[in-house]
Amino acid sequence: MIENAFDISKELLHVEVEDSKINGYRFVTATCVDLGDGTFDVIYHFDKDLELKNLRVNVKKEDELPSISNIYFSAILVENEMKELFGLNIKNIAIDYGGHMLLSDEELDAPMAKQQIVIEQRKGDK
Amino acid sequence: MGKSGKQNKSAKTVIPFGPQHPVLPEPLHLKLVMEDEIIVEAIPAIGYVHRGLEKLTEIKEFTQNVFIVERICGICSVMHAQAYCQGIETLMNIQIPDRAKYLRVIWAELHRIHSHLLWLGLLADAFGFESLFMQVWRNREKVMDIMEETAGGRVIISVNTIGGTRRDMSPEALRKVAVIADEIKEDMKQLEKVFMADYTVKHRLVGVGVLEPDLAYEFGAVGPMARASGIKQDLRTTGYAAYGELDFEPVIETGCDSYARTMVRLREVYQSVDLIKQAIDKIPDGEISVPVKGMPNGEVISRVEQPRGEVLYYLKANGTKNLERLRIRTPTFANIPTLLKMLPGSELADVPILILTIDPCISCTER
Repeated sequence: MIENAFDISKELLHVEVEDSKINGYRFVTATCVDLGDGTFDVIYHFDKDLELKNLRVNVKKEDELPSISNIYFSAILVENEMKELFGLNIKNIAIDYGGHMLLSDEELDAPMAKQQIVIEQRKGDK
Repeated sequence: MGKSGKQNKSAKTVIPFGPQHPVLPEPLHLKLVMEDEIIVEAIPAIGYVHRGLEKLTEIKEFTQNVFIVERICGICSVMHAQAYCQGIETLMNIQIPDRAKYLRVIWAELHRIHSHLLWLGLLADAFGFESLFMQVWRNREKVMDIMEETAGGRVIISVNTIGGTRRDMSPEALRKVAVIADEIKEDMKQLEKVFMADYTVKHRLVGVGVLEPDLAYEFGAVGPMARASGIKQDLRTTGYAAYGELDFEPVIETGCDSYARTMVRLREVYQSVDLIKQAIDKIPDGEISVPVKGMPNGEVISRVEQPRGEVLYYLKANGTKNLERLRIRTPTFANIPTLLKMLPGSELADVPILILTIDPCISCTER
């Protein structure tokens, strides 16, 4: 486990992030991890005096996650990146590229997410 | 002119800046919303050269990833590998030899000098001072030469490995590095006068792109961007590798403008020279690496100070030879929001300097 990590619910995300800002934390970045069980871990990293604090939110793939860019503007790039590369459903990003910050129309959707490959059995196959 | 004869002062124009521009070595696109010559809003567009390297690290073995992360960016390749190796070493509870810690510092600081001299040269070129650009880069060649002599490569030197370093330096090589470091310092003292006092240089930099300390912190500025706004933030002070054994203080300026950022990078060249010489004086004899056995398991965050600022590596391993996730937050990725804050209110003519002042590395951003 990473040090100084706290599991929180997505409903408490804004409260915790606002609390971090009030307490003088700098937003470092966020990390999305596809757990492969239909959920993502989204870890928000904050720094104060070179000590990290990490907030971990577990969300289902189809769930909405509120943007924190209204609290920390510097989250815009990483939120757009997670939205495009993992298909994370982040709502109300301050500058929302609509899925085209990194990807073009021709590219695979959510290329960083773990893809489920379903092999259909055709008639006659044993 | 309108029917009433009054000019419509609120008319806005959108000017595309980049992705190809003489001042940009790499593709970055900005949509600049202008009122006359003044910028009112800037929207960045990236994604021209995204390589998906984070995904690639999930497919390759964890030992092979050292060579992948080095190729995220040539200029800070040593620090990328260092951050990655430190992370894996923490996960596997590996204690690297002391000599390897000092060697990592020496090569990392050579890279910092090389990066800052590259930037100072590009800055001189951007404001049209060609001879200054060439003099700075002539000095930089000495760093490239000594890296080639000690590691076999001029940019990507591949010295870091999990468990230590792949190469050692002989006493003669260490002495030569110290001599070259002194030469660089002397050469920079000559050029320093131009950067610090030349009328043209100051005219292009002083008061341009002011980023107040509270905004720099709020927008997540890192590295020289933060330190030029008076924020004492340098991850080397946490003491990773052998930095804990060396005597230094972060270089801080309080001007908050492009001139202050230039001064931070200039002074950090001297600081790196000093750190290299301290490390050479204190480097112990002994092994340079330890054998690595087993597979990494668990989660860790590893951070180091690159020339452009803090880089963060998040690693998640599952006890197999492949990592489950490797996330890399590079310094330019953190500094782009500060650029968006600095641009509104600036003149169009200052845009090249303002972009350069964050020392953008698109290769890092689009890893």
